[in-house]
Amino acid sequence: MADEPLISVANLSKTYDDGFEALKNINLGVRNGEILALLGPNGAGKTTLISIICGLVNPTEGSVTVGGYDIIADYRQTRSMIGLVPQELATDAFESVWATVSFSRGLFGKGPKPTLIESLLKDLSLWDKKDNQIMALSGGMKRRVMIAKALSHEPTILFLDEPTAGVDVELRKDMWALIRRLRDTGVTVILTTHYIQEAEEMADRVGVINNGELILVEDKTELMRKMGSKRLTLDLQQPLQEVPPALASYDLELANGGSQIVYTYDTRGERTGITGLLAALNDADIRFRDLSTTQSSLEEIFVNLVRGAS
Amino acid sequence: MNIHAVWAIYRFEMARTVRTLMQSIVSPVISTSLYFVVFGAAIGSRITEVEGVAYGAFIVPGLIMLSLLTQSISNASFGIYFPKFVGTIYELLSAPVSPLEIVIGYVGAAATKSIILGLIILATATLFVPLQVAHPVWMLVFLVLTATTFALFGFLIGIWADSFERLQIIPLLIITPLVFLGGSFYSISMLPPVWQTVTLFNPVVYLVSGFRWSFYEIADVGVGVSLGMITVFLALCIGTAWWIFSTGYKIKK
Repeated sequence: MADEPLISVANLSKTYDDGFEALKNINLGVRNGEILALLGPNGAGKTTLISIICGLVNPTEGSVTVGGYDIIADYRQTRSMIGLVPQELATDAFESVWATVSFSRGLFGKGPKPTLIESLLKDLSLWDKKDNQIMALSGGMKRRVMIAKALSHEPTILFLDEPTAGVDVELRKDMWALIRRLRDTGVTVILTTHYIQEAEEMADRVGVINNGELILVEDKTELMRKMGSKRLTLDLQQPLQEVPPALASYDLELANGGSQIVYTYDTRGERTGITGLLAALNDADIRFRDLSTTQSSLEEIFVNLVRGAS
Repeated sequence: MNIHAVWAIYRFEMARTVRTLMQSIVSPVISTSLYFVVFGAAIGSRITEVEGVAYGAFIVPGLIMLSLLTQSISNASFGIYFPKFVGTIYELLSAPVSPLEIVIGYVGAAATKSIILGLIILATATLFVPLQVAHPVWMLVFLVLTATTFALFGFLIGIWADSFERLQIIPLLIITPLVFLGGSFYSISMLPPVWQTVTLFNPVVYLVSGFRWSFYEIADVGVGVSLGMITVFLALCIGTAWWIFSTGYKIKK
C-alpha cells in the first residue's frame, strides 16, 4: 500500500457564507514522506485547503482522509498526526516559551516529555529564550516558537502556511534546513508559498492553485525539466512561409510572421542539436541576421499557468 | 477522553490567574471588604435584624454570590475570547479535542478560580461579622453549581463576543443589575407585593436564596426550587454550547 496517498482530498469544495467560492472540486493526493509545495497567488485558496484538512474550516462538499481516516468522523486520529504552522503570527503573549510549547504537546494528547521539548528548542535556537515571555521575542523568534509548538506532539505531517513570509534570509535558510531534516525523519511536509525559489529549493512536488482550482500537481524534477528548456531564436534575412522539409527533424516553429525561427532544446540533454541545426540551415541556404537564446523559469511557467487558468 | 488536553487547558488558565493575582483575587476581595464596611458596618448598624440574622451577616451570602457570578462570567469569557482575539484559537481547533473537553478545561478553570475566590471572601467575612454555616455541604453544592453554570454562561459570551465591548456588555448591563436586584442586600419579603412578584422573574433570586438558606436556613423561595432553577439554567447553557460546537458558530468558517 506504499503508493496509497497519506492525505487524500476528493472533490473538495468550499463556499463561504458571503458566497465566495474559495475551492472548486479539488482532488489531490499527498504521498507519505514527501515535501509538497502549494503555489498560488493571494486568495487562490491555499490557506483554505490546509485549513479544511487541519479542522479550522468546514468543507462545503467533498471529503478528506488522512492516513485512511476521515477528517470529520475520525478527527482525533487525523489531527493527532498533523502539526500546523499558520501564516499569521498568532502566539500567546504572557506565557514563557517553555510553557506554551508544553501546553501544545498536552493539547494534542501527549504526556510531558521535557527531553523532546528541550531538543526542539535547541534545534530552533530557542533554548536560551525558554523562560522568556513570548511578547518579548522578535517576529522571527515567534515564528520559531510556532514551529516548536507544531512539532511538540511529534506529528507525522506538518503543514506550513507561508512559513518564510516576511522573515529574514538567515531564518529562511534555517527553516529550509529544518524542513529537510524533518523530511529525513519521515515527516510529510506540505507548505504553501509565494516564493518560487522556495518551492524549487524544498519541494519534491509542486501544486499550483489559482481561483480555487488546482491547476497542476507535478514532480519538481519534471517542472525543472521544463524550466531547463531553452529557446534559440534566429532572425531571418528572408521570411519563410513554412519550415522547410529538410529541417523537419528539428522542433522548429516560425514566429513573427515567418521572420523568426524558434528552436526549443534541452540544455541538460547530451546534445543540444544547435550545431546540426545551424549546418542544416546553411545547407538549406537560409541566412539569419542575428540569434538569441532565452530560458523559461519556473516563475514563468507558474505565471503562464495562472494566466492560462484565468 | 483526551485527559492531557483538558489538563493542559486547565493548567494554562490557572496559570493566568497566578500571573494576574491582583486582578483575579485581591481586587474582588478588596471590593467585597468595602461592601462589608459600607453596608455591614455603616448602614447595617442602623438596620435591625433581617429574619433573625444581623444585617452584616445577612448580606454575606449575597456578596459571595455577587463575586461568584461576575468572576465566573468574566474569567470564562475572557479565557476563550482572548485566543480568538489574538488568533491562537487555531491551535485549539486543530487539536484532537472534543467540544466537551474544551468546555471542561475552560469552564473548570474559571469555576475553580471563582470558588476559591468565594471561599476567600467567606473567610474575609468572618473578620467583619459573626458567621454560621448551617449546611456546609449544601453551601458547597450551591457554590460549585453556581460557579460552573455561570462560568459556562461566560464561556458562551466569550464565543459570541467579537469585541471587548461585547465581552463586557452582558455582565455590565444584565448580570450586575440582576445581582443587585436579586436579594443580595435584602430579603424580597421586604418589598411591596407587586415587586415581590416581579422579582421572582429574576433568576439570581433563586441562587441567592438557596445559598443563604445553606447559611441561615432562611430562604425567599424553596430550596428545591432554587436548585431546580440553577439546573435549568445549566441545562440551557449546555444545550447552547453543544449547538455552538456542532455548527461552528463564531468559531469556524
